[in-house]
Amino acid sequence: MRKLLVWLVVLALIVSVFGVKKIVFWTAPNPLQEEFWKPLVKQWNEQHPDVQIEWSVIPAAGSSEEAILTAIAAGRGPDISTNIFSGFAAQLAEMGAIVPLDKEFGDDFWEVIKARSMENVIKGWGLDGHYYVLPIYSNPMLFWWRKDLLEEAGFFTPPRTYSQVYKLAEKVTIPKKRYAIKVFAGKNWWDRWFDFITLYYAASEGAPYIKNNKAVFNNEYGKKVANFFYTLFKNGWTAIDLGKDPFEKGTILGGLMGPWHFNYTKEHYPEVYKSIEIAPPPVPDDYPSYKPVYTFADTKGLVLFSTCKYKKEAWEFIKWVFSNPENDARWIEITKMPPARGDITTNPIFKKYVENDPYFAATASYVAYAVPPALITTTIDVQNAMTNYLIEPVVYQKSTPEEALGKAVKEVNKILLSQ
Amino acid sequence: MSLRRKEKALGWGIVSIYLFYTAIFWGYPFIWMFILAFTKWNFFGKPRFTGFNNFIKLFQDPVFWEVFLNTLRFMLYFLPMVFFGAMLFALALNKMKYFKSFVALSFLVANISSGVAYSIIFQNIFSDIGPINRFLYDHFGVTIPWFSSPSLAMLTIAIMVTWKFVGYYGLILYSGLQAIPKSLYEAAELDGATRWVKFWKITLPLINPAVVTVLILSINLSFGIFTEPYMITGGGPMNKTLTFMMYMYNTAFRRINPSYATALAIVTALINFGIILLVRRTVEKEVSIV
Repeated sequence: MRKLLVWLVVLALIVSVFGVKKIVFWTAPNPLQEEFWKPLVKQWNEQHPDVQIEWSVIPAAGSSEEAILTAIAAGRGPDISTNIFSGFAAQLAEMGAIVPLDKEFGDDFWEVIKARSMENVIKGWGLDGHYYVLPIYSNPMLFWWRKDLLEEAGFFTPPRTYSQVYKLAEKVTIPKKRYAIKVFAGKNWWDRWFDFITLYYAASEGAPYIKNNKAVFNNEYGKKVANFFYTLFKNGWTAIDLGKDPFEKGTILGGLMGPWHFNYTKEHYPEVYKSIEIAPPPVPDDYPSYKPVYTFADTKGLVLFSTCKYKKEAWEFIKWVFSNPENDARWIEITKMPPARGDITTNPIFKKYVENDPYFAATASYVAYAVPPALITTTIDVQNAMTNYLIEPVVYQKSTPEEALGKAVKEVNKILLSQ
Repeated sequence: MSLRRKEKALGWGIVSIYLFYTAIFWGYPFIWMFILAFTKWNFFGKPRFTGFNNFIKLFQDPVFWEVFLNTLRFMLYFLPMVFFGAMLFALALNKMKYFKSFVALSFLVANISSGVAYSIIFQNIFSDIGPINRFLYDHFGVTIPWFSSPSLAMLTIAIMVTWKFVGYYGLILYSGLQAIPKSLYEAAELDGATRWVKFWKITLPLINPAVVTVLILSINLSFGIFTEPYMITGGGPMNKTLTFMMYMYNTAFRRINPSYATALAIVTALINFGIILLVRRTVEKEVSIV
């Protein structure tokens, strides 16, 4: 008997030393998201001694992409990583570095999609007929308006259409001091998500700007958006450089914001926080008022790397986290960002957050209308071309909106074809 | 063991630490650089040999030439500004009787402060509604589009970088000034030399080594600008502030083309080196103070 016991102990030791499967898991270097993952990973590791998650945040580098790519090159990449935006996922998929989840796990994948009510959300993530990313959160980009300043100027609802924005601008603009709206998001390539693409989605009910690997944004919607930009800059109703926190400082009455900004405003400008009015992006004048307005989704997800040795176990972990809506409830509580699921406003589990926080409720109600960017491998070049040939010429009034659109589409198509 | 062999062993023993270090941190990347430059690789899998393809593509790349011109333009603004500023600083420091170290240290603070932090501060100072533009607008009715004008943005960045390096370069020039014996000036004064003549005939020729050092450092710097445009302008407007470093970084990590980025790095280094050779040929003089 004693001998058997000794043997058993030895066996258990061997299993625990050699039989443990390790899965390296990286998450976004963001304190709130760390707070979310820490207890979850701990709980899993306690319940699954044979499959241990080695969790860490994406190492410090210039960007998540840089950190992940250099780690892959060095052979020390993660098995699972979160914080992957669509364009990077497309690049990783093209390299063969990540696994098509629907192909690898079949019905198991669709079960998770169903459990998380992601049937609609996942549609925007298809790449060559497969799904490489499990979207975690989806931030609908919405306009914040200063209720106090609007009312001061005699406006009791935020402007809905371009003409209404112009009318407001005529009234409130004080050159070099106050502008109606911020439309130009910045000079970086990613800024196009937060100006042209958002307004294009709003004007077009979420129509793609790149279709079948061809740029199509020189259509009627693109023209309306470009003219909106042109008019605002021509009349001096907005400016290029508005300094830090223009919304909070009252330099602008309205601008596009993401939900991650709520905590910041609440902490640094508590008075301003109280008078935020959330509205969808402005739309062209002929946009029917009964139709919902679409917007851009700043959305990130997780991917499973093809170098992962224990794919099944890794998937089990992913499934364990995302099949449980309680985890998404905790996510909302901590990060204030809507999980990428279609039932936030209807599922009773999230009722508490929707009822207690009108800002979150407003944000969550647009998750269904938030469209992710085009899944292309050349995001940076395409959006640089948009900056150089469309936005900048229009903003600096160097060419007409129509000319700029034509040129930009031509340049973007060159880039898309060169791949 | 004979003494000779012992000494030999000791010699190799001492040198081996350096050799080992160099092999890992210099040799390995150097070889890897050549492999990358002549292949196509995407961080994953094996590099594919493509010969001089990357280099041929590079010289046909309009963005490369744009970046090249941007760098030249940056040097055109930066070199005179920083040199003039540093010279004034050094001359003033040389004249000062009290608080010398305090002043020198105050100027050095700019040099050690975080690029990210001061980029954010400058961005606010120079913004369309920042304090400078507010002042100009209130008093003169004009504003200057510091970062938003394609022709001004690089100048604004050059001003920021000058601010950062005036103190450091000034100290290098100052140490050059210190080495000039006072007797030379006294002799010149006896001969009736004016201040201007003394500066041109004694000071400037004798601090030539310091001048060359400052020039080389600032040329190198011009090829290595990254943080300021990355943080503030993103290379815009109209690509007018895109620098070699930014282009390399984006090419390697955003376009996932480390091979092309490496070819770019090699060519950039060669241009940098060529300009330095040229400057040394034209400016450097043998100086000996007896």
